Amino acid sequence: MTDTHAHKLPSDIGGNEAGPVDTIDHGMRFWERQANALRSTLTRKGFVKTDELRRAAEELGDRYSQLHYFEITTSALRAIMIEKGHMTEAELKAKMDDIRARFNVPDEMESPIKKGKAQST
Amino acid sequence: MNEPKSHSVGKSAYAPAPGRRFEVGDRVRVKRRFPPGHRRTPTYIRGKVGEIERICGAFPNPEELAYGFDGEPKKVLYRVRFAQKEVWPRYTGPDRDLIEMEIYEHWLEPAMAGTSDEKK
Repeated sequence: MTDTHAHKLPSDIGGNEAGPVDTIDHGMRFWERQANALRSTLTRKGFVKTDELRRAAEELGDRYSQLHYFEITTSALRAIMIEKGHMTEAELKAKMDDIRARFNVPDEMESPIKKGKAQST
Repeated sequence: MNEPKSHSVGKSAYAPAPGRRFEVGDRVRVKRRFPPGHRRTPTYIRGKVGEIERICGAFPNPEELAYGFDGEPKKVLYRVRFAQKEVWPRYTGPDRDLIEMEIYEHWLEPAMAGTSDEKK
């Protein structure tokens, strides 16, 4: 009874087999709070619209099911900010390189807040 | 969730919805269409028949807002009530179980009383 058609969005999962439900509250990580605040501010100030972000999230396609919630919303925010010309890929990359160097984070998979190391250097 | 008192008299509206096509109690069928793009009606409810439970108001069309347009003209949003057994043919819960969903007018068309759509 599940419909299969060309335009079914990755977020349109009603009726799919879901498996066991994780009922543990995992809270929010530091970067997730930061990212959520940024999304909220940019929405409130009119740079992006919630509906645009939802559309960009759907356009992640297969990545949608592989990413966590805040990774999806942040990826969508990145896409819409670039799409609307508020920033460019080059500007974003330059800023990320700048911040990565400032915090001495060798790998983005590691925590962005390495307090001890950042203060001692 | 606080429900407005006017709900029970069948004319509730959270926001003005002039020129609307449906009223509370009308039987409606969700259009069975699959256009590409950002669509606000889940696949599993398309083609199903339900009843207008309330009129939520008229709002900028999210399917236009999603692409940077202003969402005008506004679309009337309804809360539609479906029997779970209508939505899920193999549903094993009680017959009285319902699912309610908010659906924009352009996704709805009139349905005759008691009809359902299980065509695939």
